[in-house]
Amino acid sequence: MGDNNARLDVKGMALAEGTRWLVQDLSFSVNPGSVHMLLGERDTGKTAILEALAGRRKLERGTLLAPAPAALVAQPAGSAQIRVLDRLILHRQPKRMGLFIHWKQAREEARALAARFALDGLLDVPVETLRPLERRLLELAASLAEQPALLLLDEPTSELGPHEARHFLTTIRRVASEEKIPAVITSAFPRDAYPDAEAVTILWRGMEPVTVTTHECSEGTLVERWTGGLGIRRTPSGHHTPGEPLLRMEDLVLRGRGRETSLAGLEFEVKAGEVLAIVGAPADGLNLLHDVLLGSRSPERGSMQFLGKEMIASTRRHRVESGISFVNPPHARDQAIPEFSIEENLILGQTAGPPFARKGFLRHDSVRGNAVRTLRDFEIPEAEPHHRFRQLKLGDRQRVIVAREVLRNPVLMIARSPAQGLSLAAQEYVRRALVLQCERGSGLLWLTEEPEEAMRVADRLAVLAAGRFVWIPVTETLTREMIIDEMSGAAA
Amino acid sequence: MIPGRSRGGPWVLLGNAALLVALFTGSYLIAAAAGSSQGWPPWSGDIVLAAAGLLFLGLAFLFPLHAGLLNFGIHAQFLAGFIAGSLVARSADILPGAQGLLGLIAGAGGGLFVGVVMAWLKRKLAIHEILSGLLLAAMLIPVARAFGVEPAAAPALEIQLGTLARTLAWAPGLHLAPSFVMAWGILLLAAGIGLGLLAAHLLRASVRGFELRAVGSNPLAAVAAGVDVDSMQMLTIAAGGACAGLVGALQLWTDPAVALERWPVPLGFAGITVAFLGGGYLRGALIAALVLAVWLNTPGVAAALSSPVWGGAMAFLLVLPAFWNLPRLIPDQGAPRAIWRTRHRESA
Repeated sequence: MGDNNARLDVKGMALAEGTRWLVQDLSFSVNPGSVHMLLGERDTGKTAILEALAGRRKLERGTLLAPAPAALVAQPAGSAQIRVLDRLILHRQPKRMGLFIHWKQAREEARALAARFALDGLLDVPVETLRPLERRLLELAASLAEQPALLLLDEPTSELGPHEARHFLTTIRRVASEEKIPAVITSAFPRDAYPDAEAVTILWRGMEPVTVTTHECSEGTLVERWTGGLGIRRTPSGHHTPGEPLLRMEDLVLRGRGRETSLAGLEFEVKAGEVLAIVGAPADGLNLLHDVLLGSRSPERGSMQFLGKEMIASTRRHRVESGISFVNPPHARDQAIPEFSIEENLILGQTAGPPFARKGFLRHDSVRGNAVRTLRDFEIPEAEPHHRFRQLKLGDRQRVIVAREVLRNPVLMIARSPAQGLSLAAQEYVRRALVLQCERGSGLLWLTEEPEEAMRVADRLAVLAAGRFVWIPVTETLTREMIIDEMSGAAA
Repeated sequence: MIPGRSRGGPWVLLGNAALLVALFTGSYLIAAAAGSSQGWPPWSGDIVLAAAGLLFLGLAFLFPLHAGLLNFGIHAQFLAGFIAGSLVARSADILPGAQGLLGLIAGAGGGLFVGVVMAWLKRKLAIHEILSGLLLAAMLIPVARAFGVEPAAAPALEIQLGTLARTLAWAPGLHLAPSFVMAWGILLLAAGIGLGLLAAHLLRASVRGFELRAVGSNPLAAVAAGVDVDSMQMLTIAAGGACAGLVGALQLWTDPAVALERWPVPLGFAGITVAFLGGGYLRGALIAALVLAVWLNTPGVAAALSSPVWGGAMAFLLVLPAFWNLPRLIPDQGAPRAIWRTRHRESA
């Protein structure tokens, strides 16, 4: 057992990466049984702070009194094909004669641990078939197997829907309380602080961190302080007048993978000049619907008509050539080639003919000219066309992707959480660029797990819950809580 | 340079250069210590044919690597080429010169066939190309012995360290005239250099080259951009197989065979060393092939390889570049796996 009942104290902490300061003058303390949240956008040093608290990173300045050992729970990665049981005993197996795994005892210990998180019925299930929330709970349970005295979780809600995030954060609070250990989480969502965190440290790039308690600061005030007054509910260019139907999905049925929720007869249409937002948790059918739209999965039943033509069995290439454009989350691996130059990424999928190719050869002057204009028009001044794509910041990468797709002037755009994980300014830019495309007559289908994002962009809004749609009128009285209640089924 | 891979920086270049220096000086010192200055029987076509062979083997590994495939079936393709060439050589009613050229074509076809089989196994059954390539090589070794012109052991065909110490023997070959071998050998080397330079240009300038680089860098993005990843991979491994098969058939041109028989590890794998020493660049492979061909014909090499200890040391040196080149050139296996899962398990 670790050093339980010990308090975490950070005073004047400074961390650096090479010659760049990641964070300076950071001070906060966390009592045993409490949860503390570090709130910040990308590249504000959240992960580095957790690494320092876990003793994996050297402090440049300041003092740190941290109970040991610390469990640092990062994003779930790898080992997805092993069973839940194996994951739980991965770092600590009961042995027979010091050589062989004592499977009976291991199963009992794993079952007891899993029962604390309602995972005991899933011991023999492969990890890859778990829902995102279950995977998070599993990682949390596995970290407890090492009996930590300090719990550190890096962006634990990044892949969860809001109601799943709420459940998970409540669990963290319960674990911290039961184990009498301090817990620190990082997040890019102010809502994650409520109601389970005691205090929040707000991190800004290059500015001194500020710590506030959740008792003295409401969620609205916290958002205001963090964003500097950037409003949450604001439609970038107002509502649009819908035109002709572009995409019509009918009776879409698809069985979920593992413990994913299946799609149970979805029907919707997207019209020219409108933004249809669909909100849902990834495992509640949002991922499945996205896969169907991409053409990477075939539904068991249903049709997808684009401009009156049936496309349910068509490839992604055919869909793109027909006028559909896809923008995926910034971290998605399928929309850019990091080792290619920016100018090459800007012509991906457009090399079948003019203007970027002729008689089987690339036209380098056209490619370069396109890149120069795009970087100027989409306000990425620091980048040069020949720079490698991976050298760009995440926000600029997504700008390049959005630019590529928008400049094709598609009939329909399908965006899946296109601003996820970006800085606030980049989020705003990406949303605005996509929504403005509607004013040129394109339809926009926006899939997201964020109610706030949907409220900001939607002309029409549907919640995907338990594989079905719940349509919600977009009115001035619509609140985030109403959407979350529909997502979690609490509205019924 | 393989798209999507690290350039490696000056240390990789330095490591490759140091290795070549070690090979040359080591061979010289061993020969000096043994008091022997004579090497293999001098033969004017050796360097030309050895360079051509090494160059084509290097291309056999580099072409598929650009599409994200590790062509460890290069030895199987080499053996298939040797077998096909031997079948042509058995036809007594054809002139030796014609046999030599037809043998090359047949060898290229044999290697190409093995490449296609590997691509098919990967596409249909998701068998990794390293596994299928090595298994096919193991299967083809006895076949190569059976179909060879002279069934007596051809050491470079074997995967046995014990052969390092054995006196090297080879099939009698086609008894081609030295002038024929020299003239056609120069043409073959020129063709190899031309092919390498042309491929490097097409990779940079053509649409297919662009798509191929996309496949090698990020297959998921390539699929999203509308590239047929499977066909592209099959094309490159078939082209690589044809190159390796051609070298297999080339072994019948001289007696002993093209000096490449001195290569201290299974011969087909020479292509991997050439590709690594070339830093993953097509142009680099051209230089590496020429330098290694010269090294193979330096007197000390014979003395070094005739000793189990020094032969083993040389073999180790030739494998050594894999340690610092493979990690930076190895394809990202995550994306292909995701594609396979999408295709085989998640489609209705």
